Formats: sequence, structure tokens, C-alpha cells
Amino acid sequence: MLRVGVIGLGKMGQLHFLNALHMKDVKLVAIADKSKRNRKMVQRYNVKAYDDYTVLLDSEELDAVIISLPNFLREESIAYAAEKGLDIFVDKPLARTLAEATRIAGKARKEGVRVMTGANYRYMDCVQRLKKMLDEGRVGDVVIATADLIMNGPLGHGRVPTPVPEWWLSKEKAGGGALLDLGYHLIDLMNWMFGDLRVEYSSLGYRFQLPVEDGAMVVLRSGKSKMNCCVNVGWFSKSIFPDFNFRVNLHGTVGYTSTDNFAPKNLRLYAIKEASRNLLRKATGKKLKYLSYTYYYHSFFKILELFFDGIQKDTELPISLEEEIDVIRIIDDVYKRNGADLNG
Amino acid sequence: MAKVVLTSASKNFADNDIRDAVSRSFDLLGYNYPEKIDTVIIKTNLCYYWDYSTGETTDPRIISAIIDYLRARIGDDISIFVAEADATAMKTKYSFKILGYENLSKAKNVELLNLSEGEIVEKQVSIRNNRITLPVNKMLLESDLVINVPKLRTHNLVGLTCSLKNMFGAISKPRKFSYHKNLDAIIVAINKLVKSDICIVDGLIARGKYPKKMGLILAGDDALATDFVVAKILGFNPRAIGHLKLAEKENVGDVNNTELIEDKTSLKEAKKLFPGSSFLLHRLSWGLQLKLLDVYLKLSGDVSPPFLKA
Repeated sequence: MLRVGVIGLGKMGQLHFLNALHMKDVKLVAIADKSKRNRKMVQRYNVKAYDDYTVLLDSEELDAVIISLPNFLREESIAYAAEKGLDIFVDKPLARTLAEATRIAGKARKEGVRVMTGANYRYMDCVQRLKKMLDEGRVGDVVIATADLIMNGPLGHGRVPTPVPEWWLSKEKAGGGALLDLGYHLIDLMNWMFGDLRVEYSSLGYRFQLPVEDGAMVVLRSGKSKMNCCVNVGWFSKSIFPDFNFRVNLHGTVGYTSTDNFAPKNLRLYAIKEASRNLLRKATGKKLKYLSYTYYYHSFFKILELFFDGIQKDTELPISLEEEIDVIRIIDDVYKRNGADLNG
Repeated sequence: MAKVVLTSASKNFADNDIRDAVSRSFDLLGYNYPEKIDTVIIKTNLCYYWDYSTGETTDPRIISAIIDYLRARIGDDISIFVAEADATAMKTKYSFKILGYENLSKAKNVELLNLSEGEIVEKQVSIRNNRITLPVNKMLLESDLVINVPKLRTHNLVGLTCSLKNMFGAISKPRKFSYHKNLDAIIVAINKLVKSDICIVDGLIARGKYPKKMGLILAGDDALATDFVVAKILGFNPRAIGHLKLAEKENVGDVNNTELIEDKTSLKEAKKLFPGSSFLLHRLSWGLQLKLLDVYLKLSGDVSPPFLKA
């Protein structure tokens, strides 16, 4: 049984916490969060709560930890957990800068621990099916790819209104805006599919006049496959439901395919279908496909499950730190080219 | 007698067209300004960090046109404050920046006023014979002229959000979510405490079922009478809207003798163009979906994403 702690119970931390509760051979031992309300939330799950993650890590015997803290606390929290010899699952982005990411990787190597980033888009059903088509050669050699992810980012409005955490809007604390937040996923997908990416062109958008960009367009070229791809991201769209504005299009020498071909056309109907299937699974004693009714959030369950599975079986984790450093290298390059890096 | 002007800017939305339409609506309204005006507060509707193009928040170009008109009409030396209060999820310091009001403030040399900061006064008022106490910014209470600039749009909780509902956003307390249980009474209470001298309704981009470029501007010297006209454009019976019905009962305005001036458009045409939506159907539909979700979660033991948490 893996003994696990969760550091940071913001929206993402809560999601990981709830997901981990349903995982086989995983015991959630303790959480740490500054918010009293969040600490209170876990009481009913018989999980210990700390207001300081260092105290949690000093006090509890753990095997792994989920870190879901704001970007500016990534490096110090990963370093502290690594020194305790814990394997680490951390939300993306891995770091605010390439320098930070490199130090994190060095620390993980030194302490002999494994760090995996929550690049969950790889595990969306539509992406998995697209990747399969690519790997099978069904679109031929991809010459051009485009990837879009436009949503509201931290400016989203939940069912119950809550203020946007202010660190999101600070360049120093967040390290960047829509590119680091959403572009991270798309660049990770392109890197995973094609590899050896270099920035050809980039432009950052500031429609909302924030210290961080609310939009970005990046053209990348794969040195390996000579494929060109255009990545478009933005925080400027008001809503994400019922239309989820995410897609990857691949234009190859054989034909064309898109995640749109594999994504549900109507998210409401899809939710009803998946919920019914889960109820059937429950009734027949089968394992639930957690969060599949939301389409998007199931990928978070899947990636965390794969992380724990890799640790339990002591096999290679599905997402390597080297891959994630590649992603940060590209983002770092874009920020430098646009005078938007942390020293810029 | 209340007066409401309904006019239209041309559909290409050039700054000059907006300025002309705003200016025309003021002129047609013919408001009887007090002799001495030192300070003017313009209350915007910046409910959240949604761009004006969504139809949710006041277009800064309308505010710009209002400032130009007031300076030309009253004098260059008046102090103009563009105001909004913090809300449960929205901080004015960010909405002013994100929605273009910081730039407007610099370009037009006006001050931005956060109604949740500065001197706040607890004011009492009676609604349905119940005392209601609300925190209100002292500057708003003491301003010589209050210009209320709401949006022309529907609202999922109260049907329509216009002049009266926009003043709800002027209450100093940020966590106004706590007022939602008694929303109609609170809306009427704040409007009893702070009278909108002039309402200029931003219908450039209206929002019903979806946002639509309608180019409409309404001006009114009575917030309730203005909202009655807006309710008709949106396809509602005004007296079926809880806070309008209560406001009429509480004598917040005069709706029995409204003079409606239709300029370059008509109420009938505006109503025809508006992308109407049934807020009751919307609430029922969302209510049903969320109820079904709750039932599913209980039966299955599946996980609920935190943003869906009630």
C-alpha cells in the first residue's frame, strides 16, 4: 500500500485528493494547506491535515507526494520532498523557468527520486486515438499540425463564485500566463508526437493588459520530422462549456485527422451516456471509469493512476522529466524572444 | 413624469457613432441638472472579468462618450469618478485593468473609484416594513450626480439586470453572494438609498441567449421606468420580474406616466432583434442538470470536479 500526501488543496489539489481516494493500493495519509477551510474539508476522510507542508513531510512516513502548489512554490516544495526520498507527482508547469526546471531535475537525480508532471492532455481519449492513428501511419508523414486551446484560465467562474488567486496575475509568482498555463499542454503534445522542437516564430497577446500574457501563438519546427506546427492558446474566452475549445489537427502525406473527430459532439449527451455506463459498472461490480462523464477530467484520474502504478511496479514513469524540460525550454525561449521572461 | 429615450448607434460601432448616440440620448432626455455640480459618479457594470464584447460588462467607449458629454454640458472642471465595487469573485483593481478602464482613466483624466474602499457608511432603509442595513461608499451618497450605466442583458437569477440591479453592485460589501437569498429586497433597498439621477443603458452589445451587436442606447431619468422599458425589449412582463414589482410597490420610481422617445429605432424593432432567452427555462434546465449530477454522484460514488462544488 502506497502512503501518499497531498500538498496544496486548491482546485487542482482537491481534484487529485479526491481521485487518489479512489485508487487501488493507495492510502492518503495527510494533506497540507494554508487554508483552514480546505483542511477542514478532509476531516471526513480520516486524513491528517497540516498547515505547513514541511511539517507534514517531517512528521509522516510517506512513499509519494502530490504537489499542487502555486508555480512560485514548485521548486522549494519539490526539493524538500525529494530530500525526504519521496517520489513526486507535480502539477504542470514543472517550473517557471528553464533554470528552475534544470535545478529540479538535478535535485531529483541527486536524491534518487522520480518526478512526474501532470501533462494530462496526453490521456484525453481523443488525443490517445489521434496518437494511435499517427503511430500507425494512417495520416502518413505529418507536414503541418495545429493545436488550439482557448479557455478562461484562472479567470473562470465556478458554480460558486470565488476570487481568482492573485498569484496567477503576478509575473514573478506565476512565471508566465496563458503560454505557461495552456501552451504547456499543447507543446507537450507536439513534443510527445514529433520531438526535437525549435521555435520558428512566436507572438504573445495582452488583450487584458495583465502583467502576464493572456494569449500566445507559437510556430514550432521539428528538427527530426521537419514538421511545422502552430500552437494557439488563450485565456480570453468566457466559457468552456458546453463547447470545449481544444483540438489538435494533423495534416499528413496520406490525409488529415483531428481530435475533433474523436471528441464528443455534445458534452451533455456524452455525460448522460458515461454516467449510465458507470452506474452499470457499479451494478455489475466492475471498476468505475472515474470522471469520464466530464470527458476532460478523466485524464487527471488516468495520469495519477499511471504515476502510482509506475511507482508500485517500479517501472519507468510514462512522462519523463527530460520531456518536460524540453517543454519548459521552448516556453523559456518564447518568453526570452518576446522580452517576457522573468528577467525581462 | 419619467422620461426614457431609446436610440441607436450605427452598426459599425465607430467611436464617433457611439459618441453621437450618447450625446443625442442625453439631449433628448433633457435632464434638469442641478445648478451646482462638482462631482459626478458614473457607476459601470463590471460584474466579472468578462470583456465588453461578451455583452456582460459596460463598454468603456460608452463611458468615454458620457465623460465627453458631461464635460461639454456641465464644465471641464467637474470631478468625474468611474466607479465599481468589489464583488464576491471580482476585484475592482483587476477589472478596471482587464476591461480597459485604467487606459480610459488616463486618456480622459478621470479617477477610478473602488466603492468597497474609502469611507463606508452603514445606511438603513425599510423594505416591506423590514429594516435593511447596507454598507455604502460615502462618496456615492454625497455625489452631486449619479450616472448609472448598466448593460442590456438577461440575468439567470433575476431575469434582467439593468439599472436597479446595477446599483446592487454598488454596495460596498464585496461578498454580495450572501445577499442572494434576499436579492429582490436588497436591490430595491440600495436603490432607495442611492438614487440614479440618469441611467444610460449600454445595449451596444446586448446579451440574451447569446451576445448580439444591437447598437442600442437608452437614457432615462428614472431607473425603474428605464428598467420597465428594457424588460419589454427583453420580452418580459416587467411586473413579473420580482425586483421591479417590489420597486414599484416601494415607490422607487414612477412607471405609470413614462414618456418614451423612440429615436432611430423603436421598442418593437429592438424587441424583435433581441436574442431572447427564458431565464426560467435556463434555471430549470441547469437546476435539473445539477440535480441529476448530485443523484448520479450519490449512486455511483464517482468524483465531482471541485469547480462544480456547490
